[in-house]
Amino acid sequence: MLKATLRSFLAHKGRLALSMLAVLLSVAFVAGTLMFTDTIGSTFDRLFRSTSADVSITAHNDVAGRNDQNFSGTVPTVPASLIPQVAHIPGVAAVNGRVSMAGIVLTDANNKSIGAIGGAPTIGINWSPGPNSPVDLTSGTAPSGDGQVVVDSDTVSKHHLVLGQQLHVIGATGGFPVRLTGIATFNTTNPGATLVFLDTGTAQRRLLGHEGVFTSVDLTAAKGVTNEQLRDRVAPVVGSAYDVKTAEQTAKDAAQTLGAFLSVIKDALLGFAGIAVLVGVSLILNTFSMLVAQRTRELGLMRALGASREQVNRSVLVEAALLGLMGSTLGLFLGVGLALGLIKLIARGGMVLKGSQLAVHWPTIVAAYAVGIIVTTVSAYLPARRASRISPMAALREADTPGRGAPLRIRAVVGLVVLAVSAGLLVGAATDKDLGQAGILLGGGVLLSLVGLIIIGPLLATPVIRLVGGWFPRVFGPVGTLSQRNALRNPRRTSATASALMIGLALVASLSVVGSSMAASFDAQIDKTIGADLIVQNSTGLPFPNEVGDTVQATPGVGLAVRGQGTRGALVAADGTQQKTVVVGTSPGLDKVVRIEMRNGTVAAGTAPGHAMIGSNYADAHGLHLGSPVTILFQSGRAGTLTVGGIDVTDTNPGGLGDEPVVASSTLRQYVPGALDDIVFVNVAPGADKEQVKSALTTALAKDPQVQVRDQTDYKKLVRGQIDLLLNLVYGLLALAIIIAILGVVNTLALSVIERTREIGLLRAIGLGRAQLRRMVRLEAVVIALFGAVLGLGLGLGWGLAAQRLLAAKGLQSLAIPWSTIIAVVIGAAVVGLLAALGPALRASRLNVLDAIAHE
Amino acid sequence: MAASGQPAARAVGLCKAYGSGETAVLALDRVDVEIDGGRFTAIMGPSGSGKSTLMHCLAGLDKPTGGEVYVGDTELSHLGDRALTRLRRDRIGFVFQAFNLLPTLTAEENITLPGDIAGRRTDAAWLRQVVETLNLGDRLRHRPHELSGGQQQRVAVARALAARPQLIFADEPTGNLDSRSGAEVLGFLRRSVDELGQTVVMVTHDPNAASFADLVLFLADGRIVDRLEGPTADAVLERMRRFDVRGGSQVTLPAPDAD
Ligand SMILES: Nc1ncnc2c1ncn2[C@@H]1O[C@H](COP(=O)(O)OP(=O)(O)OP(=O)(O)O)[C@@H](O)[C@H]1O
Ligand SMILES: [Mg+2]
Repeated sequence: MLKATLRSFLAHKGRLALSMLAVLLSVAFVAGTLMFTDTIGSTFDRLFRSTSADVSITAHNDVAGRNDQNFSGTVPTVPASLIPQVAHIPGVAAVNGRVSMAGIVLTDANNKSIGAIGGAPTIGINWSPGPNSPVDLTSGTAPSGDGQVVVDSDTVSKHHLVLGQQLHVIGATGGFPVRLTGIATFNTTNPGATLVFLDTGTAQRRLLGHEGVFTSVDLTAAKGVTNEQLRDRVAPVVGSAYDVKTAEQTAKDAAQTLGAFLSVIKDALLGFAGIAVLVGVSLILNTFSMLVAQRTRELGLMRALGASREQVNRSVLVEAALLGLMGSTLGLFLGVGLALGLIKLIARGGMVLKGSQLAVHWPTIVAAYAVGIIVTTVSAYLPARRASRISPMAALREADTPGRGAPLRIRAVVGLVVLAVSAGLLVGAATDKDLGQAGILLGGGVLLSLVGLIIIGPLLATPVIRLVGGWFPRVFGPVGTLSQRNALRNPRRTSATASALMIGLALVASLSVVGSSMAASFDAQIDKTIGADLIVQNSTGLPFPNEVGDTVQATPGVGLAVRGQGTRGALVAADGTQQKTVVVGTSPGLDKVVRIEMRNGTVAAGTAPGHAMIGSNYADAHGLHLGSPVTILFQSGRAGTLTVGGIDVTDTNPGGLGDEPVVASSTLRQYVPGALDDIVFVNVAPGADKEQVKSALTTALAKDPQVQVRDQTDYKKLVRGQIDLLLNLVYGLLALAIIIAILGVVNTLALSVIERTREIGLLRAIGLGRAQLRRMVRLEAVVIALFGAVLGLGLGLGWGLAAQRLLAAKGLQSLAIPWSTIIAVVIGAAVVGLLAALGPALRASRLNVLDAIAHE
Repeated sequence: MAASGQPAARAVGLCKAYGSGETAVLALDRVDVEIDGGRFTAIMGPSGSGKSTLMHCLAGLDKPTGGEVYVGDTELSHLGDRALTRLRRDRIGFVFQAFNLLPTLTAEENITLPGDIAGRRTDAAWLRQVVETLNLGDRLRHRPHELSGGQQQRVAVARALAARPQLIFADEPTGNLDSRSGAEVLGFLRRSVDELGQTVVMVTHDPNAASFADLVLFLADGRIVDRLEGPTADAVLERMRRFDVRGGSQVTLPAPDAD
């Protein structure tokens, strides 16, 4: 029996090839994702381990986030006076004061930015190599004095910098010229950060704003002293105002922050892999159904010759397992290729990983085989069971009458019930006030509606295909009629084929609805809240030196410039509980550039020195009124009690103020010295031309390439661009599922052509031309693809609508149906059909007429 | 339509070999034959004698390995696939031994299919006549799987006739029919020859069927070995007996039919 199985496996290898391709692609996606994210993880692990000092001392701060030292441009610092205190502790081999500041900008002499703005960070570091320094000076000399800089070798070679070249560094206090004196090379892979080394004094002055402070004090443990021992000796000396951490803890903390981000990427990619697997399942299921149907007679013969039901069953399953095994193995290899491709791709986005350090861990291999083999055997099980249930004689007789499956009534009832339940869930999701609960309802609704539609698909095939292909006979004559009838011949098969496409397109449709609703809502929000003519901002929202604001104010044509700052902080209630928030600082005139709905008081009064403007939600929750005292804990760790001067209506929409307190810039800087601007709103002077002022500002700000001048249209474009980028990324990932779906259409057509060989011969004998025959196959494919598109779009619009209603509370208030995307999907589906039909159509048209007629 | 007496198709030195080298089978061996227009020709011979092959070559379905085939004045050997397809579509009707109809089309759609493919309207009056004669009036809306074997065969004959081709080839059209339905189909073919000047070529094993023809050609080992004008069933049977003696074991142990 096994021999027979193997032989039949080999005999059908052509027909199985496409199924295997589906397994292969699914497995490759899963394996590639795992390898890719593992590689990112291990690269950063190595980096963190190499850059972490044995023991490091940092200022303890509850408010500032651990890794957002670039928020407001100020960081908690450690005084240099701490160094002598710890230097004499036994076990300390070396002490290094470290300045490390992300969010700086390096430009060339023409003000062109070096290093990615918005991609990987540009980090300013003091040149103070400790005993196990992660970098070595590989050419030139170390920086000394105000005007010298050492840059990492990756950046140097990427931007073709040469020693002696004039550069420009923009730090917290503004820009200053430097000369490249040396090149530093990493011992491990540097994943893309641009490193700018300055001498310690310069780094302190220019990046931190003060001499005599560091961002951390790094200790090297003497031989024979473990990091833990050293930490335990240092901690009591420095006291609770400082955090003392071993290298392992520092690396772990850094990895944790990265890990959260990585796991989001991983989950997202695996989600798409899951979709690909799902589509793959439907393809394999369909292929095996067709193969088994075609082999009914063969299987019947085996049964008649005495093979038991289990043997027949097993023979199909063994075949599937073989297919899964081969598909998984090849998929694993393709996964390596995919991971390498992804590594290349993100290198362009600024994250450099080394392909030679690709991480292939054993769970990846296990997952690949598990997915491949389980998916294939499970998908083959149903058809196998059906095959073994056929009585041998029925199988041998094998009436090849088309379109006469089992009654579809049960299917209709079950499908309708599932669809009704899913509709209920979706409506529930759209109307539920509780966001978490609505999310669960949405997820359930999405899943159930998908299942429902797959169940009911065969019943929809006839009406929908009559609709989308109804005009075929009129336009394409008998070829149109034949193709439409062929598509309708086996509704189960047609709908199974189309459902693979449906899944991919439903996701495209729903996400595009959400995406364009997001863009429209944002547009509306901008129109509603932004009153400024122009906005000067870093595209990533990072702060910039205050000289930018000064330049703006000095530019002719600028009427009002309102400068804003954002710092970490917390609102402290009377009972001492803290609510973490962002504390916003503003120069006078905020109400002239941003429309804020006030409940009590005015913006001007709220942002007067010593006062604060707070949100109505917070005010109500804590019984605050105009004139009440409100305590704010600032990023610096200092708390201040201010007077409530205004209460704005809490606006939780994206871009809205929320419950963030707003204070005068002068007040903010009293508590957070050196807080940098991160936005400047500009109103042009009366009579000045907005466009002229905009270009004047752009020229004036040329030396600060990190900031851009935008009017409201630019701003909307920016947001739209970001949403589009995200959508395109998602579409790109969905492309895999769609490719697998196309394979499904190819497979169905190819098997149909084989099944209909005699018909094709007959048609050719009575005078159907080759081109007409090809057109017949193509039209059938188009009809199937359009059927999938119609279902997918319908489903996707439903999902998108429910999601928009659900997110309306979160600010997604405008519903926008992206008609252009929808039309593109329909046209795309037709093209997909045409593409899928290429091979099968060619094959059909090449059949020898007589051989085809004689085909049994 | 070819005028009576003129050859509607002819073959000169027609050879057809399958395979090559030692295993080569010569299915047709230098056959010279003329199919007279407006006549009903039957081809008979033992299984494997090359009847189907001859018909396929004459109809442009198969490429001869030697010799020439003419349909009307057209020589087929240098026609490409496109021209051959058009020739089959416009000038030839075919009835196969089995599997003649497209399962997705109704009987009527099957009948009008060649005309539809060519973009011609089938003459409605003629279609009605064909359908009535073949007794298919109440079956036109049915799909092939809802028809009996004989009905399916009659639909195939109707299809061949409906487009009024110059030549109709029928490979054992009555093989699956009971004698009464067989006689109906044959009678209709006969009438289409007599009344409309249709040219019909039919392969058959049945002397009764052959007796409907004007001329019977006898094929053996890929050659035309005999011909009988104005055959009767008895005369055909008589010739076949003679044949049996000559053909020896070939007939008593028929090779499996390739069709
Ligand atoms: N495709 C093929 N390949 C090889 N040999 C073939 C092929 N088709 C036919 N033959 C051989 O050619 C010879 C003639 O075959 P053909 O089908 O014309 O016979 P026939 O007279 O129609 O027989 P039957 O009465 O059984 O239908 C036979 O010996 C057959 O084996
Ligand atoms: Mg034959």
